[in-house]
Parts: sequence; C-alpha cells; structure tokens
Amino acid sequence: MASDGVPPIIAAQLNYLLSHFPLSVKIEHLWSGSKFSTGVIDRFTIVIPYCLDFIKWDFIYNSESPISAPDVIFGAEDENFLSFLARNDGVEGNANSAKNCLSDWNGKDPTRLMVLLQQLRDQYMNYQRKRVDEVDDDRLKFEVSTIAFREGIEMHLSSGAEKPEEVKFAVPLTEMNIDKMVHGCPWRHSPKIYLQVIYPVGRKYVSASSAPRLKLLSTSDLKSIFSIEDFKLPPWLDGMCMAEYLPHLEESLEKQILEAVSLIDVRRRFIESLAPLFGRPLEADPIFCRKATFLAGSGAFTFLVHFSISTQFPKQQPGLMLQSSQHMNSHGVPAKSPLITEYPWSPRWETSVMAEKIFEFLVDEALNFKRYCNEAQLQH
Amino acid sequence: MDDLPIEKIAISGPTLASLIQRFSTSPGPIDGLLYGHVSLLTPSTLSDDTSSSSSSLPSTSTSLPPISSSSQTLIATITSFFSLSAGHVNPLLLPTPPPSSSLLGWFSARRRSPLRPSLREFSLSHSLSSLPSLSFPILSSRSSLSPCIFLLLSSPIYDQTIHTHEYRAYQFRSSLLSFDPKSIEVINIGPAFRSHYGAFSPNSPFPSLPCDHSSSMAVDDEKEEEERLRAEQTQLDDCAEGFQVGRLSKLMGNEAANYSAGLENLYGKMLVKIESLARQVEQSSALVFEQENHNRKLKYKAARFTGSE
Repeated sequence: MASDGVPPIIAAQLNYLLSHFPLSVKIEHLWSGSKFSTGVIDRFTIVIPYCLDFIKWDFIYNSESPISAPDVIFGAEDENFLSFLARNDGVEGNANSAKNCLSDWNGKDPTRLMVLLQQLRDQYMNYQRKRVDEVDDDRLKFEVSTIAFREGIEMHLSSGAEKPEEVKFAVPLTEMNIDKMVHGCPWRHSPKIYLQVIYPVGRKYVSASSAPRLKLLSTSDLKSIFSIEDFKLPPWLDGMCMAEYLPHLEESLEKQILEAVSLIDVRRRFIESLAPLFGRPLEADPIFCRKATFLAGSGAFTFLVHFSISTQFPKQQPGLMLQSSQHMNSHGVPAKSPLITEYPWSPRWETSVMAEKIFEFLVDEALNFKRYCNEAQLQH
Repeated sequence: MDDLPIEKIAISGPTLASLIQRFSTSPGPIDGLLYGHVSLLTPSTLSDDTSSSSSSLPSTSTSLPPISSSSQTLIATITSFFSLSAGHVNPLLLPTPPPSSSLLGWFSARRRSPLRPSLREFSLSHSLSSLPSLSFPILSSRSSLSPCIFLLLSSPIYDQTIHTHEYRAYQFRSSLLSFDPKSIEVINIGPAFRSHYGAFSPNSPFPSLPCDHSSSMAVDDEKEEEERLRAEQTQLDDCAEGFQVGRLSKLMGNEAANYSAGLENLYGKMLVKIESLARQVEQSSALVFEQENHNRKLKYKAARFTGSE
C-alpha cells in the first residue's frame, strides 16, 4: 500500500490490518492533521464491508504522538452507535471491549488497530441487530426469530429522510469450502455467497405475504469457476418465509457449484486434447483452465490462438482470438482478430472431436486472418 | 444530580476568539476545560393586556404557565477555558476552577476532521457528566447540573482557499446517553447584547488602584495593605520616571509648551522600550519555534527508529 508519510508505528498497524483482517477492508483516504508537516499522515478513512454494503469510519491518530491510541469517528447516519457502545461496554464489562482496547493501548503492537476494528465491527453488528429488533413489524419479527441463529448473518436498518425504511439481511449460504475443492487454489479465503433479502418496513397496505427483494451475491473470486448471475433463484411462493426458502435455495446452489467444480476438469481435458494438434500451449491457466494460448502456423505465416473458455463450457463454445506474430499496427501493437465465437460446435462432442473441428476451422480462418492483416498494413 | 436541558450556550466573543487562537497555534490537537456558570432565566409571564374583557374575567389568569422547571430556561455561559494537549483531560484529576465559576464541561479541538463527536469525546463527556462530585449549582436555583457542555472545534478536511474554523456545541444528556446539539451564541459588547451583561460575572477582580489616598484612609488597621500599595506605587513611579499625576496639571497654563515637550519625550522613551521588548519577544519566539521544530524532527526520527525495530 502507499504508506508514504505514514509514521512507521501507524503504518505497521495499517499493514497488519490490511493483510490479516478476515474481510477485505480498504483505506479510502489518507490525510494529515498536522499543522506543520502536512506530509505526515495521521488520519484515514477505513471502508469496512458490512451487510453487503460498506461502512466508513475515520480513524484519527495524532502525528505529534503516533504512539497514542487513535480516535474513531463513525458515520453521520450512525450517531446512536456511540450511545449503544456506552451502554454495552458498561453492561458487559468484558475484557475485550473496544473501550478496554483503547484505554490500555500499546502503539508498538501492530495488531492493535485490527483488534480494535474487529471489536467495533462486532459491536456494530449487535447495534444493527438491536435496531432491527426494535422495528415494529410482525412479519419481520417472525423472520428474525427464525433465522437469527444462522452463523454470520448480518442485518441493517436503513432509514434515510427521503427513502422509506428497509431492513436488509445478508445471509451467508452454503458451508462448502470451495477453495478446498479446487486443486491448487490461490484464494486467500473461500469465496462466499450471500443472499441479500430486503424487506420494506411499515407499509401496512402491502400484502403481508409478498416476496421481499432477493439478490444473490458473491465475492469476486467465485467468478473464475461459477457465475452467480447465471444462477436462477427459485421462486418465492406466496406466504413463504426465509426459513422455508433458504434450505431449498442452498441445496440447488450447492448442486450447481459441485457441477461448476467438475467442469474445471472438462476444460482441462479440452485444453489437453488441443495439444496433439497445436503443440504444447504457450500459456495455460492450470487452476481454473479458463485460458490457453497456442502457437499456430499456416505456411510461413505464424500466429497465436487465444482460447477463452467460459464457465458454461462445454454448453458455450470457447472464444477464439488470433494474434499475428508478423503484423503490427501503427502503434506497434500486434494485429488481432475480433473474438470468434461462431464456428462448428456441439457440446455433445468428445473433446478430441472439438479440438479437431477447431483445428479444421482455423486452417481456413488463418488465410482470412492473413489477408486481413496484410490489408490492414497496406492502409498505413 | 439533575439532567436538565440547557436552552443555549453563550460564550463571550473574546473567549471564543482566544480559544480558536489557542487551537490554531497549537501544533497538535488540544483538549481543555470550560468554565463559567449556568443561570436560570424565568421567562417573563407579564404581557400587555390586549383584551379589555380579560379584566372582567379573573379566572383566565390561571392559564398563565406554572412556574416549573419546564418553563424556565437554562443558559450556560462560558467565561474562560483552560487548555491541555489532547488526551490529558482526566476527570479524576482536574484543576480547581477559577473563582466564581464552575466547571461546565470540556472542549476538543482537532484539525481536519469531521465535525462530529468521536468515540473518545463521547466517552470522556460521559464520564465527566457521571461524576457526582463535579456537579455544580445553577445560579438562582436549587437545582444542580453536571459538567455536560461539550464544545467541538475542527477545520475542514480538504484544503480550502478560505480558512474556516468550525465549531459546534453539545450538551451531554446522561439520562439519554447522547449528545444534544445546542445553539451557541457569541456575546459581544454593544447595545444588542445589553441583556447579557448581567449574565457575565467578572472573573478577575478589578485591581485596587490608589486613586485617592487622603479619603480612603478611614480604615487604618490595614497597614499591610498600605505597604503593598506603596510598593506598587514605587514600581509605577519607576516607569513614570518622575512624572506624577499631580504634574499633569502643568499641562495647562504658561508652562504647558515646555512641559508637553517633556511628556512627549517620556512617551517616546516608552515607545522605544516597548519596541525593544516586542523585538525581544519576537526573537525568543522564533527561537522557541525553531527548537520546537527541531524537537519534532527528533521525535519523528525516534518514531521511525522504534517503528523499524
């Protein structure tokens, strides 16, 4: 990270936070509060994921005394969070409250900022839970009572001046360790999938059994093997509640993920069957098998073939792109063909047949591409 | 200890100006204590008799608001402050307030930060207002109040062409465990503020000047007082270099031209003295500034060293 101008003691805490916090926090804005040396950075905004959204808290250190504990300013919309903290820290009196953490602050311990943030975020979760509990809505009370036991569930009551009140749930789905299922997976954490459920509050005239707004979301890592947009949510039947809906959803989701993981091997076999025809790939994605590049030639004309293989393979055929090794445009960039997605294909073919058909197609296409490259060069 | 709502917070212009000045010249954030008093304004229930019929119906007089705490307005007046570097306000170790004022609360001044109370400010306000030993009486009332005033000073996060000082006042309500934003009224001198004159009480007594020796000697048992006055007089005489108040009468009449030249000479000397004094102050301030900068650099260096350990 850019830690230029951050006093080393603070930088150590920041770096520890960024590399060890279980969620991916971001430092959005760093600035200096010093009178003299404006280059010494002692304030920053930390963007913390919460309930599929973000909360932004300002951490104020003192560059005059970087060893001292920081101060935290919460979002303007969470003004009651301070009261909540004061009430709860007093009641519980537990050793790992945020207050205790701040009162015996040790600036030389790089883990401190992360510990503080974790404690505050946990409290924030309790605070939002309490706010949701206080909403006077029978249906919501029922939903909360039936699903609150789920581990990792987060709730949020949004109330703006213009917007109608809404309660948002972020329900983590499936306990599958997807990273463990993929061999050699580089992910730091297993990708998470959440169902976002939004209930409007206090609209007495809306039929009580109508479906809440549902949306499936996942961490971006999952994209490499499974596209969450392709998943069709099961219908929400009249009079359903979340506790009924979720098991069904999880079951079909898990089935599709298992299938998606098994498709990695199908893609691998496809890349392997290309090798006898094209030679060893120059480059290939060995983990998710989504990309491969081969060197091909047609007479004296040599070119690269880039294969991009979607998660829907073999239902969806791979995209091909040819790149000349001999032609460049006026900017010195190698000439490339547009992405080719239309050529003879059947998902029911053996992978060796797929490879053969592509090879045959490319024998003709190479001539077209060569002509295209030569023409493009003549125009310059 | 009551948790009565305060209507508004008044601060004298010079006090606020000096608070802002103290903040803008300090190298880092500062905290401090606010002193003053809280007074009770009983709203005037007397109004012009607009309808003649009311006199014939004496029962309407019962509609006058009853004298209760809800109909009375509390005004907190900040008369002085005491500043410390940030993080040094300890509710258990507070200096004694200046004479005839009470600890109203505290302030926090931090540069380039949002103008919202922070976690630390909330906690400190909470502990200050929850210590029964700190509660003070409300003037002309039997109730008391805890130090619940909080003044927050800041400056904008982003650099702006015009430098602005931002401040906001709050009352910490211990019953609600929350900050209640309050309007702050800056009181200056002038006809518009005449009604407030009574709300301020002098916090430094007017110095006793020996104006007239002959008549005030009725009480002669204060020998020591006289001694002290004499010593002060000699000090004054030193500055005046032989020019006594009595000689001012010579400014009129025949000798005036002669005498005024001497007086001007005295003023001239005084000006030179003041100028050299000012220069000395300037030079020593520059040295102090340089030393502070040097210390700061050393501090950063030390911090870098401990950080790299």
